[in-house]
Amino acid sequence: MKLITHNMLTSKCLKGVVTGYPLAINATNIKVTEVDFNPEFISRIIPKLDWEVLWRAADSIGHSDGLPQTIEPKFEENSDFLKKAHKVLLEVEIEEGNLVCPESGRRFPISKGIPNMLLTEAEVQ
Amino acid sequence: MERNKNIERKCKRFSARLKSSKGVSCVEYPCPNIVLCNVGQATGFTKEDVYKLVEDLKTVNIQKFIAEKGESHSFLVFEDTNSAAEFYHTSNGKAKVRNGTTIFMNYVQSVPNDEITCTDGIPKGLSILPDFISHDEEQKYINLFDWTTEANLKNRQVKHYGYEFRYGSNDVDLNSPLPESIPDECNMLWERLKTFGFDIETPDQLTVNKYCPGQGIPSHVDRHSPFSDTILSLSLGSDVVMDWRHHSNKYVPVVVPSRSMLVMQNEARYDWQHGIQPRTWDPVIDIRKSSDGQTERVITGDTKPRDTRISLTFRKTREGPCQCQFKTLCDRGTVEGELSDDLASHLEELHVHQVYEQIAGHFSTTRHKRWPRVDEFLHSVSPGAVLLDLGAGNGKNILNRNDILQIAGERSSGLLLECAGHTQSIPGAQCVRLDLLHTPLRDECADAIICIAVIHHLSSAARRRQAVSTISRLLRPGGRALITVWAKDQSKSNYLAQNKENHDTNLVTMVGGLNLPVHENRTQFRHSDLLVPWKLRKVEDKKPLKTSDTFLRYYHVFEEGELVQLCEMPHLEIESSFYEEGNWCVVCKKR
Repeated sequence: MKLITHNMLTSKCLKGVVTGYPLAINATNIKVTEVDFNPEFISRIIPKLDWEVLWRAADSIGHSDGLPQTIEPKFEENSDFLKKAHKVLLEVEIEEGNLVCPESGRRFPISKGIPNMLLTEAEVQ
Repeated sequence: MERNKNIERKCKRFSARLKSSKGVSCVEYPCPNIVLCNVGQATGFTKEDVYKLVEDLKTVNIQKFIAEKGESHSFLVFEDTNSAAEFYHTSNGKAKVRNGTTIFMNYVQSVPNDEITCTDGIPKGLSILPDFISHDEEQKYINLFDWTTEANLKNRQVKHYGYEFRYGSNDVDLNSPLPESIPDECNMLWERLKTFGFDIETPDQLTVNKYCPGQGIPSHVDRHSPFSDTILSLSLGSDVVMDWRHHSNKYVPVVVPSRSMLVMQNEARYDWQHGIQPRTWDPVIDIRKSSDGQTERVITGDTKPRDTRISLTFRKTREGPCQCQFKTLCDRGTVEGELSDDLASHLEELHVHQVYEQIAGHFSTTRHKRWPRVDEFLHSVSPGAVLLDLGAGNGKNILNRNDILQIAGERSSGLLLECAGHTQSIPGAQCVRLDLLHTPLRDECADAIICIAVIHHLSSAARRRQAVSTISRLLRPGGRALITVWAKDQSKSNYLAQNKENHDTNLVTMVGGLNLPVHENRTQFRHSDLLVPWKLRKVEDKKPLKTSDTFLRYYHVFEEGELVQLCEMPHLEIESSFYEEGNWCVVCKKR
C-alpha cells in the first residue's frame, strides 16, 4: 500500500465511527521500489492530498527524512521537494502490516501490499 | 440329499457371518421373516427382482421388502409363517437372480425398522379432494396443456395464463395481464368445487408446471400480498408426495394423487411451506392409527415410481399489503416486493461474492478487452486526476498511465490478486479490497469513477441506489463517473446465440424462501432478477462438466431508462446515457 492511497482511506463506514481518519499504520514489512518520476503528476496530485496526514504517516513508518511538514508556496518549482514527495507517495510501500481505525481500534490487515477494508454486516452503519 | 446338505452348510455359514458382522440373529425355526443372505441393495437387488422370485408362487404373500443402503443382504416379511416357509422351501439355494447368483436364506427373528413415523397432523386449511376429475377429463387437460413441441425436457417447464408469475419478486404485475387468460375449459372446476363446499372467488392467474420424474420444487410459501387466501392445485398424470413444513418444525408428507384437487387455505396457505423432492420415486405413505388412537403418517421403506406430472396452480390476484394473521412468512412488511437488506446481502454473499471467489481464475482469463466507450472515458481523464475503478475485477480497465492515480477497488480476493499482478508495473496504480456499498474512501476524493458491470449484482433497488449515492459522495464537484450495467434487452448485442430458446424454468431456492429462475445462457432475458450460470472449464481440460462446476451468479438486468432513473440524484447531472454491446451506460457529473 502506497502512502498516497493511505491519504484517502477512512474507516468511517464502521458503526459508531465519526471520522475514521487518518488510519494509523502498523507496518511489519516496508518495501521501497524505484518508480519513474513524473514531476507533473506529483505537482498536480499534491493539492488533492491532506499533506499533514501524509507527513505524519511517512514519519510514523520512518520515511519523513527531509520531507517538509508543510507545503511551501510554489512547491511545484522545487524539483528537490517533488522528488522527495514522489518517493513517499509512490516508492515507499507497506507490504505487510495493519491499518488501525483511530476511533474503534479495528485493524485492517495489509497483505502483499493490498489493504483489506472489508467489513462484516454487523460492523457497518 | 447331498445337495440339501450343501445348502444347509452354506446357510449356516451365512448365519454366522451375519451374526458376527451385522448383528443379525438368524433362527432355526420357521417364522414370517426371512433374510436373503447374499443379495441386497449393494448387489443391485431390487423390489422387481423380489416380484420375479415369487411370481409363480401363488400362495406366497410378501408384505415388505427391506434392502438397507450399502448392504449385500436384505429382508422379506411375509404375511404369515406358512407363506414364508413355502418360499423358503422352494427357493433357498435354488432361486437365482438375473446375474445367476443363487440366493441363500435364513429365517430371522426381527427385521430392521426402515419406517419414519410422522405424528404431526395435516396442516389446517389443506384439503385434498381425490378423484376430483375423471380419467377422461384428466386426459383432456393434459392435452390442453402439454407441450409436446418442447424438445428439451431438462428443466421443469412452466407456462402462465392471466398474469405472468414473476420469479424474482414472486408476484405478478397487475398492470400487464397476459394476452391469454385462464382457458374456459377450467370454468367447470369452480362449479365442481361448490359441490364440495368451496365457494371461492374465481381465480385469474394460472401457472402450469410440468414435472418430469426427478424434478421437484423447493420448499416455499406462495407470496401473501399478491394473491388471495385460496390457492388451488389440480394434479394430472402422476401421484406425488408433497412435503409440508411448518416453522415450528412440524413436518407432514402428504400424497397428492393425480386427478385430485388440492385446496390451500388458512394456515396451510399462509403459515406452512410446501415442496416436492427432486426424485424419480416417492415413498409409500401409510396412514395408521397409533396405540393412543392418533392418526400417524408412516413413510415406509417401500417406493413407487413417478410419472410425468402436470400441475395447474390457480390463484386470485389482489392488491395492497396482506391482511392475514400469520406473521412469520408474511410479506406485508416488504415494500413492493423489495428484498429486505439482510436478505439481499445474504443472497449476494451466496450468489455473487462466493461465486466470484470460486471462478476468479477462469473468469479473469475471459476478460481482456476494454469496451470502446469505457476506453474513451478513461482516456478523457486529465493528468493529475484520481481515478477510482469500483469493482475492478482483474484490472483490465486500469490504464498504463503514469500521470494519474488509479485505485482499483474489488471485493473478490481472487480477482484482486489477478488485478495486482496486472497493475504491478503501473506507477500510480493501487489495489484495495473493498465493498462498493461501504467504500472506505474519503468524501469527494475522486476526479473520475468507473463502475463497470457491478451494480447489476446488487439485489434490491435500495442497494443499487446506495451504490450510485456512494459514487456521488466520492466524486469531487465537477468529477465524472461512468456506470454500466447489463441490459435486459440483448437483441442489439452479440450475446444471443442463434436458434437458442430460453426456458428459464429451473427454479432454485434462495435465501428466505425466495425463488429465482436460472437463466439459459446466450438467450434473451425474460426476467429482471435471475441467476446466470457460470460453467467452470479449464482450457486444457475437455472432460464433461459436472454440476459442481456450474456456479450461479445473481443479476438484476436493467430495463431501458432504469439506470438513468437510478442516477437521478440531487448532486448528479446526467451527461449522456447509451446502450453498448448489451449494456446500459450512463456518464454523470457531480454538481
